[in-house]
Amino acid sequence: MLRVGRGRISAERLVRAVRDPKAGAVVLFLGTTRVHNEGRRVVRLEYEAFTGMARREMAALAGQARRRWRLCRVAMVHRTGVVPVGQVSVGVAVSSGHRAEAFAAGRWLIDRLKKTVPIWKREHFRGGRVWIGATPSGGAPRKAARRR
Amino acid sequence: MVRLRFFAALRERMGAARTETLAPGTTVGALWRSLVAERPELARFQVRFAVNEEYVSASHRLRDEDEVAFFPPVSGG
Repeated sequence: MLRVGRGRISAERLVRAVRDPKAGAVVLFLGTTRVHNEGRRVVRLEYEAFTGMARREMAALAGQARRRWRLCRVAMVHRTGVVPVGQVSVGVAVSSGHRAEAFAAGRWLIDRLKKTVPIWKREHFRGGRVWIGATPSGGAPRKAARRR
Repeated sequence: MVRLRFFAALRERMGAARTETLAPGTTVGALWRSLVAERPELARFQVRFAVNEEYVSASHRLRDEDEVAFFPPVSGG
C-alpha cells in the first residue's frame, strides 16, 4: 500500500497491509503533528503534495528497501491537506522474517521519504503561517532545515 | 510547448501551472534563470527540478511536451 492523500491515516490499515505469513516481525512508524516547534505554538499543519511524483518516489524507495533488506511487505502513507495537532501525518509499516530487517528498513524508509518525496509542510501558528524549508530568509526555521 | 508546474511557496508566487514555448535545447536551469529574471524575488528560493515526475539537474535539456516542475526542498513527514 502506497498512498498520498486526504483523510485520517489508520494504523490498523497500515499493519494489515503488511501482514504476511512469512513475517516474524512488523514495525510501524507513525509521524504525528507536534504542538510546539521552534518555540512557536502550532495551531495546525497543512501538507501539499505533487501527488503523482510522490507516489512514484515512494514506490522507488520501497523497491530500494526491498533490494537492501529481505522484506515481506512495505506500506507507506502520507496525509495531505490540513492535519490538526496530535494526528498522524505520515505512516510507514514494514514486515520481515526477523525484526532487525524490519527496524532497519522502517528507519531508512521514513528518513528517505522526508528527503525525497515531494511533499511540503506549512505550519500555522498564532500570528502567522510559514512553509517549512522554503527559503533561507523567508521565515523557514533553521533547525527545521537541519532536521529534514 | 513545455508545461511548467510550481508547488508550495513557489506555487503561491507563480500560480500552479503554465505553458511556455522554448528554444530547442533549453536547459531546466536556463528556464529557471529566465523566471528569476522576470521575478527577481525568486532568487532567494532554493529550488529543485523534476521533469516528467523525475528529479533532474539544472543541466537537463528540455524536450517538447515535457512537464517540468519547480519546487522548494521537500519538507514532508
